[in-house]
Order: sequence, then C-alpha cells, then structure tokens
Amino acid sequence: MTEPILQVSGLYKHYPLTRGVLFKKRVGSVKAVDGVDFALGKGETLGIVGESGCGKSTVAKLLVSLERPTRGRIRYKGEDITRLSGRALKAVRRNIQMVFQDPYTSLNPRMTVGDIVGEPYEIHPEAAPKGDRRRRVRELLDVVGLNPEHINRYPHQFSGGQRQRIGIARGLALRPEVIVADEPVSALDVSVQAQVVNLLDRLQREFELSYLFIAHDLSIVRHISDRVGVMYLGRIVEIGSDEQIYGRPTHPYTQALLSAVPVPDPEAREGRERIILTGDVPSPTDVPSGCRFRTRCWKARERCAQEVPVLAVPEPLRDLGGAAAHASACHFAGVDHGNDRP
Amino acid sequence: MPLDAGDAGDVQVTGPRSRGERLLDVRDLRVEFRTRDGVARAVNGVSWAVDAGETLAVLGESGSGKSVTAQAVMGILDVPPGRITGGEVLFKGRDLLRMKEDERRRIRGAEMAMIFQDALSSLNPVVPVGDQLGEMFVVHRGMSRKDARARAVELMDRVRIPAARQRVGDYPHQFSGGMRQRIMIAMALALEPALIIADEPTTALDVTVQAQVMDLLAELRREYRMGLVLITHDLGVVADVADRIAVMYAGRIVESAPVHDLYRAPAHPYTRGLLDSIPRLDRKGHALHAIKGLPPNLMDIPPGCAFHPRCPAARDVCRTDVPPPHPVDEHRGSACHFWRECLHD
Repeated sequence: MTEPILQVSGLYKHYPLTRGVLFKKRVGSVKAVDGVDFALGKGETLGIVGESGCGKSTVAKLLVSLERPTRGRIRYKGEDITRLSGRALKAVRRNIQMVFQDPYTSLNPRMTVGDIVGEPYEIHPEAAPKGDRRRRVRELLDVVGLNPEHINRYPHQFSGGQRQRIGIARGLALRPEVIVADEPVSALDVSVQAQVVNLLDRLQREFELSYLFIAHDLSIVRHISDRVGVMYLGRIVEIGSDEQIYGRPTHPYTQALLSAVPVPDPEAREGRERIILTGDVPSPTDVPSGCRFRTRCWKARERCAQEVPVLAVPEPLRDLGGAAAHASACHFAGVDHGNDRP
Repeated sequence: MPLDAGDAGDVQVTGPRSRGERLLDVRDLRVEFRTRDGVARAVNGVSWAVDAGETLAVLGESGSGKSVTAQAVMGILDVPPGRITGGEVLFKGRDLLRMKEDERRRIRGAEMAMIFQDALSSLNPVVPVGDQLGEMFVVHRGMSRKDARARAVELMDRVRIPAARQRVGDYPHQFSGGMRQRIMIAMALALEPALIIADEPTTALDVTVQAQVMDLLAELRREYRMGLVLITHDLGVVADVADRIAVMYAGRIVESAPVHDLYRAPAHPYTRGLLDSIPRLDRKGHALHAIKGLPPNLMDIPPGCAFHPRCPAARDVCRTDVPPPHPVDEHRGSACHFWRECLHD
C-alpha cells in the first residue's frame, strides 16, 4: 500500500442512552463504533461493507468531523485531527469531503444548483476568489457530466442520478484529497447506478482522489475498491485486498455475507450453497462478550465467548502466504471449503 | 401511420403448460394517472400469466409500471388519480375488473394475497401482531378471537418467528425488519391463497436477512403449490428464484422468457443493457456498461419504441413504429424490431 493519507486507530463512538427528562440518568450506551482501525492510502479506494446498524455511516461522519469520537485517533497526513478545532479543523475539513446517500434530501430544495455546488466557497472563501466562483461551478458541472447551462435550475428539476452528480460536484468544489462516499449509488436505479459508478472511477483518476466508499452492496464495493473492510456491530471483522476478501474470505461472517448475495446468473443457483445465518444482529447497546459474531456463528466455541478476537493475520494462515493471509478477527479463521458449514 | 400499441397488444407471456392450472391471466392491462400536469400513462397494455406452483418475476426500474400493475391486479389502486382504462384480469377464468367490490374483497386475502416492501408501514402500529394475523380468520372464517389467536401463533411458527407464543402479543415496532417481513408473509399465507403477489419483498432488508426471507418464501411456495408473482428491480433475486421473467419498461413488457434463456441470451437491448450494467460479485470487470440517458417521463413517452433514445441499436423505424410483440420461440417474446440481431449479438 502507498503511504496512508488517513490513518484511523482505536476509533470509538458511543452514544449515551439516558432515562428521565430532568435528571438524565445514563443507563447505557449505543456502541456504534467500537474499536476500528484502518488506513487509507493515497489514490486508493477502501470499501467498507456491512449491514444496517454495523456503524459504517458513523465511521463516515467521524472522518468528516460531523461527529467527535468518544476515543481514538484519526490522522490526516500524520496529524491527529480529532483534537483540532476552529481554524485548524476547518483547514483539514477542506480536504476531506463527503458525498451523501440520498440525493433527494441532501440538497436544499430552495437553492439553485449553482448555489449548492458553490456553497463550499462561502464557507472556505480562500478556496476561490469571489469573481471566479461562477466559472468554477460551471466547470464542476461539466466535469460531472451535467449541462453547465443548468446552473440556475433547482434540484427538483433533476432526476435522482443527476442529483447525485450535483452532490458529487459539491464534494469536489474544494479540490479535496479524500472523498468519503456513504452509499452514493444505493438510491439509484440499476441503469443509472452504473453511470455514477463510472463517473466516480473517472474522477478518481483525474483528480488523484482517495475514496472511502461505504455501501451495503457487496458487488458494487468489489467493483470500485482496491481494498475492502467488512464491519459487524461496530468493528471491522476482516480487511484485505478485493481478491483476499472476495476470493479467500476467512471470517465466518464474511463468508455468510458473500454467500447470501444473489448472483445474477440462474445457472449458478443449483450449485450454490448458501450459508443462511440464524437470528438477527444483536443490539449495539448490548454487545455479546468475546467475539460479537458468536451468537450467530456456526463455528462458535467456548473461547469465543471469553476472548475478543483481534484483527490480525491469523496464526495458522500466516505461513501459507497468498490470498488467505490477511487480517481477520476470528479465533477459528480459515478458508471455507464447505466442510465445516452449518 | 405508426402502429398503435393497442392494436398490437403486448408480448404474451406464456410458460410451459406442464406446471399446473392457469391462476391469473392479465391481458392488455392499461392504467393511467390524471395529474395537474397531464396524464401519466403508467401501464400501456401489459399481458402476463402465472400458473399454480410457478414463480413469475416482473422486473423493472422505478417508473416502469411494475408496482402499478400489481396494484391494479389486486384492486388496491388509488382511484382517482389512477384509472384502469382497459384490459382484463382473469383469476381462475373470471375477470376481477368486472366484479362487484364485495365479491372481489372475498377473493382478496383468501385466494390471492399481497406482500409489500415496507412491512413497518403496512402493519398497524397500535395493534399487536397476533391480533392483526388473527383478524384474517375472524373476518374471512368467522372464528372466535381465541381460536384466531391460536392460529396466529401457528402461523408465526410456520414462518419461523422464534418464541411465537410469547411474542404473539407484541407490537410491530418490537420486531426487527426481517421478523416484520415474516409477519407480512404469515399474514399473506394465513388463508392459504392460491396466488401471492410480492412487491419488492426483500428490498428493505439486509442481505443476510434477505436470503432468509427469500428462502422461506420459496419453501412455502413449494409446500402450498402457490403461484408467486415477484415484483422486483433486482436481477440477482430474479436469477435465484424465478421460473419466468417479464421485463418492463415505460409501462410495457419489452421481453418475456424462461429465466435461464433470458440471462443466457437476452432478446431486447434494454435487458441486455441491464445485465451489462450491474457489477458482478463473482467476477471483477473494468468500466461498467451503463445505459446512457434516463428512463422516460411517463407523461411524455417517446414515440415508436419507448427505449429508442437510449438504445445503441436504434434505427429510423424505432423512432416511429411501436414494435409489436415478436415470438422469439414458443416460450419467449421480445418487443424489439431487431430482436434477432440482439439475440445473436
């Protein structure tokens, strides 16, 4: 991996759960992010996948400083940004921009497209002199494949895919180095989704962007990512290159997740063996002891209830080398041969 | 004169007849919505049929008319602004559109049932789920409340809700998304209908839960030998469960085929475009082949073939003439003037 532009270590975000109105008593906490480590290299795309409630969107908010972590560090080019405030924080924020999921609610309906895409310049006036902003906005619209003549239109005059392009143009306005994209295509139709994915691909090459791409759709994440991290209940359970995660997953949760994805090929349906997990994801207010996946895992044994597995290359796989040797937080990590399935 | 779609009818989707009796036969169905800005022609002559024990997938993107078709078939279309302007919906040979409402109500729920995408807004939030399930038996079967509740527990067991007896008094919000969708399925199954129409039944669910729910649905369909109409946008889900597929675009069926044939060799450029534009989990490609442009505005559907502005193979005739349904073979149809070229491309 190239030199990391973002380095996240021991990241926690716990939201207090309180009871009572006047004397708020703390009765517990929602452990949305519960110890996350990863690095994002320059020009790289790191995909984060996980099901709803796994904490992937909270990670996104922490990275763009929309939320403050309970504990842990986020280093941008080596500098810890979690303790910054005021002008220093603002300067860092310029370089880490976000693209949101919902192109219908993330754009102000009363602002024109020009005002929306140019708004970052109001907040960071030093980024572009006032007289030059209109021109830049037109240029941005052109870059994302919208007609620059539509600068005075309102969001409702655009389709979902076009609105997502507007959101992307706004994200690019300050020429950031990192884009955090939280489910950027999941609200779009299949035929339009591909257009936006291709756009993100092209922009990455053109502007040497680093992406943190958060999504629940494993196929899209595979398509766009160089490396992939799988989250479950506030933690990354497995991380590696796309070959490692999709070709040789060693964590039971990743294996189950991949086996559950419907493949658009009816020929494959007879031969496929699904791992159907039982039960639901536990509540993040009441995380199981030891390994948090053990309540749904067919490999779980006593050790799993007692010891929290660390995210590292598992000992038995270390010597094997190759695709199987990547970080996996499981005591019994192993390549799935279908013989120890539930 | 360009050929009007009405005269041409639409691709008749007819499957191999070995499966069983014809349950539902939708013929040349037309639905429009009158709005302040004009008339939106949502369904423009749709025909499909489903037999007992069979799964038909109706695939389309938003605005293709797939859900409106389902609503018209079930008799739950919002009228006005919606209006059925033509066609027949034959259920076991009888036209539902010409039935009196109370007659239709007896069929709905008892003989054909629907599963919706969003279980949370389809269930009553202030009534325990057991009572909502039991109501089916009280209303349609005249059971006592006590017996109905016992049947509710049985049903919850059938759809594998753990500790059904303890949870029968719980409210919808006390269940997870996957469990709520199971309750919806239980409700649809309650009176053992011959046909179930499921409108995006797993779209709101996580992938591991989606697999559980689809598995359950497939198993119950086999067990009860029901016909299943699966309305979806997900080509993956279709490949997993469907026997036949009807692809909709701008209120029409553009292609219909047995599922294996369609994935192996699509006979319509739109179907081909869809298959090429989805990233695949099982192989990593380069740039995705996106379909250019946008789906049409239903108030202003392009003349000729509605897909022509986005079609890489469009020629002059496509701009003027609505393609009639061409039989590709005994079981397949394509509404493309150049289906032969598409098929052999």
